[in-house]
Amino acid sequence: MSFQRYILRRILFVIPVVFGITFFAFFIANAVPADPVTANLPQSALNNPEIVETFRRRWGLDRPPVERYLTYVSNLVQGDLGTSIKTRRPVIDDIRRFLPATMELATFSIVVGISLGVGLGVVSALYRNTVVDYAARVFSLVGVSFPVFLLALIALSIFYVQLGWTSGLGRLDIVLQTRQPPAVTGWYTIDSLLRGDLRTFQSAVSHLILPSLVLGSYVSGIIARITRSSLLEVLGQDYIRTARSKGLRERFVIRRHAMRNAMIPIVTVIGLSYGSLLSGAVLTESIFAWPGIGRYMYQASTSQDFPAIMGVSILIALIFVGVNFVVDILYYFLDPRIRLT
Amino acid sequence: MSSTSSTISSIPASASRSTRSTAWGHLRRNPLVGVGLLLVLVWLVLGLLAPLIAPYDPLRQNVSNRMRPPHAEHIMGTDELGRDVFSRVLYGARVTIPAGLMVILFGTVIGTLVGAVAGFIGGWIDETIMRITELFMAFPTIILAMAISAALGPDVRNAIIALVVVWWPNYARLVRGLVLEIKSKEFVEGARAIGATGPYILFRTVLPNCIAPAIVLGTLDVGNAILTFAGLSFLGLGPEPSAADWGRMVSSGVDNLNQWWTWLFAGVGIASVVLGCNFIGDGLRDFLDPRLRKGN
Repeated sequence: MSFQRYILRRILFVIPVVFGITFFAFFIANAVPADPVTANLPQSALNNPEIVETFRRRWGLDRPPVERYLTYVSNLVQGDLGTSIKTRRPVIDDIRRFLPATMELATFSIVVGISLGVGLGVVSALYRNTVVDYAARVFSLVGVSFPVFLLALIALSIFYVQLGWTSGLGRLDIVLQTRQPPAVTGWYTIDSLLRGDLRTFQSAVSHLILPSLVLGSYVSGIIARITRSSLLEVLGQDYIRTARSKGLRERFVIRRHAMRNAMIPIVTVIGLSYGSLLSGAVLTESIFAWPGIGRYMYQASTSQDFPAIMGVSILIALIFVGVNFVVDILYYFLDPRIRLT
Repeated sequence: MSSTSSTISSIPASASRSTRSTAWGHLRRNPLVGVGLLLVLVWLVLGLLAPLIAPYDPLRQNVSNRMRPPHAEHIMGTDELGRDVFSRVLYGARVTIPAGLMVILFGTVIGTLVGAVAGFIGGWIDETIMRITELFMAFPTIILAMAISAALGPDVRNAIIALVVVWWPNYARLVRGLVLEIKSKEFVEGARAIGATGPYILFRTVLPNCIAPAIVLGTLDVGNAILTFAGLSFLGLGPEPSAADWGRMVSSGVDNLNQWWTWLFAGVGIASVVLGCNFIGDGLRDFLDPRLRKGN
């Protein structure tokens, strides 16, 4: 199959996935006994039947679920995700506003996660069953077992409160809030550099350090485990013995012969981790007051904000479809034997 | 996840006595498993005996004695309402650990039944159920659980329900795969030949062979379930605000960062229980995956 046809097929595949997700999200939202009216109107307004009635009509809650779903889907086809009940802004605008913050954090975190995780995993596999291996394995187990919210609080209280080495909550220092770089990419680090504003850049990086270390160390535990087991499996193969017996230097054997063949599971788990970071690290974002997708989804869930919940669900589905797509393409380059189907 | 499932599905369906004793020997030789068992046991005992050990009522407020750092009377200090942190940590074990276990229990049972029925009947029913499990698995666990438990209303029972809803698909997929494999075995054909009916074959000959792998996956997952429950509780979607619960206690740390004793001990509680479960699970996984076994 040609590359173009492969890509076209993958793009067409998105359509049923998106409809599946909207149906699923809509079903779950309607299957639970929660009422958006009580979640969004203050008590005083709830006592006034007229206000309640207007609210119901405004958000289409007076119509039967099937009709609401069909309306939603027909708007969706026209690219309209609806308006958030909570923020009163179009959901698409909200996503545009919050997604870059999450993307910036997720990208910094995955870089930390990969450097730490792959490093630990390789060391662990090469020095298998030695003290180094045990230490690395315990570290990675602690990484996946430690509640990310606890790690965040400990990091904040040590590095921000006690030592004052990094910045605290949010994306920028409060005094710089007014100097928010004009949104080009929505990444404060890139946008501030584009404008040559070093002070804002420094502040943005300083705010990214703690949350990305926290998320990165969590992800690194998972990556390290897969790296270790995948590399160990490859190291037991005959072609590694052959390479060694040819007299190749160990470094070369590991880099060129072993790592390349061990990459597939590692790339898969990195892709999945990046996907889940991109779909919003709710706990970390809420502690660091990070204005991202996770916090937006939290707000939407607690206020029964259907349009926002649906919008974010579709976004998450698209993120995973996208990440899987990139991973599949990477497979193809990592292992030419794999055919794109 | 998938690699774990595939490892698990390669477990011999009915482990013989000798395999079992090797398993036990192997697990005992792994020092981490010992540490894990110890951690989990200590918390189980502390949680069970909390009413006897706890020096104070975990809910009793004493505003004149609030935010005191650890000292002789309150070895872990007091919180923002003057409640004894040590007593609250002990009682917290009674919420979080059982909640995690219930999630696994119900998730395993529901997932096993659904997966077994899907795999056994096959056809469009199987196809539909599997597509539904894929939709569930398309979302990150915490996001889906958060959305469901927020809709049901913050409450321990609802948090557990939300987590079970998120949890069962893993087991359904695992068991369905096993059922498909077992269905074609001779002994199933034999049962059919002597005239056994569908339900009898499913529940008496096929299902018993799927239970061990499902239980193993459950064991590997307990730590994760406890961690996710604590996360929901941290977000305010678990026990009521005043409850003596670990996740809730840690979330108070967001406002009281400097009073580290109000949140750190509860957090260490969560971390140590989950770590214990994962040490045990890791030992089990090592044993089950022969490629990673020592000396091979």
